[in-house]
Amino acid sequence: MEKKIIINVGRQLGSGGHDIGRMLATDFDAQFYDREILNIAAKESGFSEEFFEKNDERKGFLRSFLHLPFSNTATSDSFYQNNFSQEGLFKFQSDAIRKEAEKGSCIFVGRCADYVLRDFPNTVNIFITASMQFRIENVANKLGVSTEEARKVIEQGEKHRAEYYNYYTGKKWGASQSYDLCIDASILGLIETEKFIAEFVRKKLDMTRTSQTS
Amino acid sequence: MFFQKDIVFSKKRVYLCKRLGTMDNKQKALELGQKPVGALLWQYALPAIVAMTASSLYNIIDRASIGQMVGPDAIAGLGITLPFMNLSAAFGAAVGVGASTCISVKLGQRDYETAQHLLGNTVSLNLIVGLVFMVVSLIFLDPILRFFGASDATLPYARQFMQIILAGNMITHMYFGMNAVLRAAGKPRHAMYATLFTVGCNILLVFAFVWWLRWGIRGAALATITSQTMALCWQMRLFSNKKELLHLKRGIYRLKAQLVKNIIAIGVSPFLMQTTSCIIVIFMNNQFFRYGGDMAVGAYSISNSVVMALFMFVMGITQGMQPIVGYNYGARKYDRMLRCLWLSIAAATTILLLGWSLAMLFPRQIARVFATDPTLLDMSAHGIVINMLVFFVVGSQAVITNFFQCIGKVKISIFLSLSRQLIMLLPLAYVLPLFWKLDGVWYAMPASDFGSFAMTLPLLWWYLRKFKAYGEKDNH
Repeated sequence: MEKKIIINVGRQLGSGGHDIGRMLATDFDAQFYDREILNIAAKESGFSEEFFEKNDERKGFLRSFLHLPFSNTATSDSFYQNNFSQEGLFKFQSDAIRKEAEKGSCIFVGRCADYVLRDFPNTVNIFITASMQFRIENVANKLGVSTEEARKVIEQGEKHRAEYYNYYTGKKWGASQSYDLCIDASILGLIETEKFIAEFVRKKLDMTRTSQTS
Repeated sequence: MFFQKDIVFSKKRVYLCKRLGTMDNKQKALELGQKPVGALLWQYALPAIVAMTASSLYNIIDRASIGQMVGPDAIAGLGITLPFMNLSAAFGAAVGVGASTCISVKLGQRDYETAQHLLGNTVSLNLIVGLVFMVVSLIFLDPILRFFGASDATLPYARQFMQIILAGNMITHMYFGMNAVLRAAGKPRHAMYATLFTVGCNILLVFAFVWWLRWGIRGAALATITSQTMALCWQMRLFSNKKELLHLKRGIYRLKAQLVKNIIAIGVSPFLMQTTSCIIVIFMNNQFFRYGGDMAVGAYSISNSVVMALFMFVMGITQGMQPIVGYNYGARKYDRMLRCLWLSIAAATTILLLGWSLAMLFPRQIARVFATDPTLLDMSAHGIVINMLVFFVVGSQAVITNFFQCIGKVKISIFLSLSRQLIMLLPLAYVLPLFWKLDGVWYAMPASDFGSFAMTLPLLWWYLRKFKAYGEKDNH
């Protein structure tokens, strides 16, 4: 396994995608990026990390008012594309993702990495789901809230994630044809699921390697 | 010294990048974070101010020509058509702003395939929306104009003007849409040339059609459409160049649901903003007609041209401050951000104070530019003085509203921008004339200017306190 690999993990909220990604990273000796990518993007752009975090994986309706040039005549249209709108931040973030991917093996969780890195060789795109029950328990444990609140957090968060992904990629978040493998983590449990995915990744990379050499 | 060298170096790079047409994000960010704020504001605001003033100059010459050559009823008729033009522009902006944002995102991701499709979809959408708007408006032209406040005397002028403008509606939409796309495609300079070209061409044609050939109000409409057609031809030539990343080709025009959805999702907000400004003008026109007849509508239209001409300077400044405030907020350089805010307020207020003193000293001479009829002259001079009574406070109001937009406080910014026009003006323009008749309608405008100004102050004060606290925390 000396070759560079990139695994992009999409995940439902509370499905354990973060933990699975972390385990994959140790398995393949790769760098792991979830929120970490925000940090790098912030450093690159000179913006504060807070600024990225506020806009992380969400895209609300009201925010679209940020595009408004303040004018009421047709002739006066805004002069500068505002680079510091959400679209600008997304650009910084995806530049950071690409830069890290150039360096070496990486695991990216979320942030449309599968789309951003679509032209990179040796990528594997995974989407991790789980039963609602499993996810609610996970979120409730992590945040220390009631199951009712956990359900709300999940519903809200996933709406944002889907809007964000669909807007920037033009694809549908979680639609199976976008990914190489979609898997329900609540069936095998996190550890076994990770092993299964690792096996799949190895097989996929072996195949590309043999087809290249022959 | 090291710092200085850094700036010089970045300046060079910026210059090089500009020449190559590829000013990258990082360079721009560096510049916004280090260069002196005053110089930055100047650099960013000046081109915006030039374009804004150019277009308001065109508006003024258009109206002045009609006022001088055709007469008072014609200028009132032109005032009636303004909301109509705004409404059409609202549909144009919905597609244009939406498409240009989506395209710049896709270009940023080097997803040229989708960007190409977005371009094609923009063309199709503009044609469809433009056509539907044209057909519907032409069929119901008279009732719509009546609703907008036209009388028996002004209706013929408004109708003549709108028939030509609507016939060219698809061209207008395409022109504005393509200009927005040009900007998104990294050719803001070309977009500016197109704007300046239409303005210049328009002015020449207005002189030819209205003053020389005496085609009346139709001539003014024809001048607008002709100059837009010429600019559109040039834009189309730019976009047919196969060497460009983004060019027109077969197979990109079929509408794709996801793309259209994204365009519309962003386009909704500019559309709503434009529509509110349209509603306001309709309401004001009707109030003026009710209390003062056609002459008052004409006088309102004249005083509005003067106000808009001055306001364009302020809008140029607010556009210039947007990237500077936006970046420095994000980078947590609050001192630079606040400095930009104060400078913008000072600049906007100074310009408005100048304009204000001119208007207070020479209202009749200003009105004379637009009107020859003595009754209309009197009314307009009177109107200009009242309309602009406290106009100098509008500068800081607009800048502060825009400031909240820049730092992502969208709700506050929407509320403030609506407060002057919608929340304050409409009720005042309804209530005041009940007591003071026509003067009541006039006084509603300075009253709402001042009221909205008074609203922005506590909000700003409240926010500044927050930044001060941050600044102190960072220092320790």
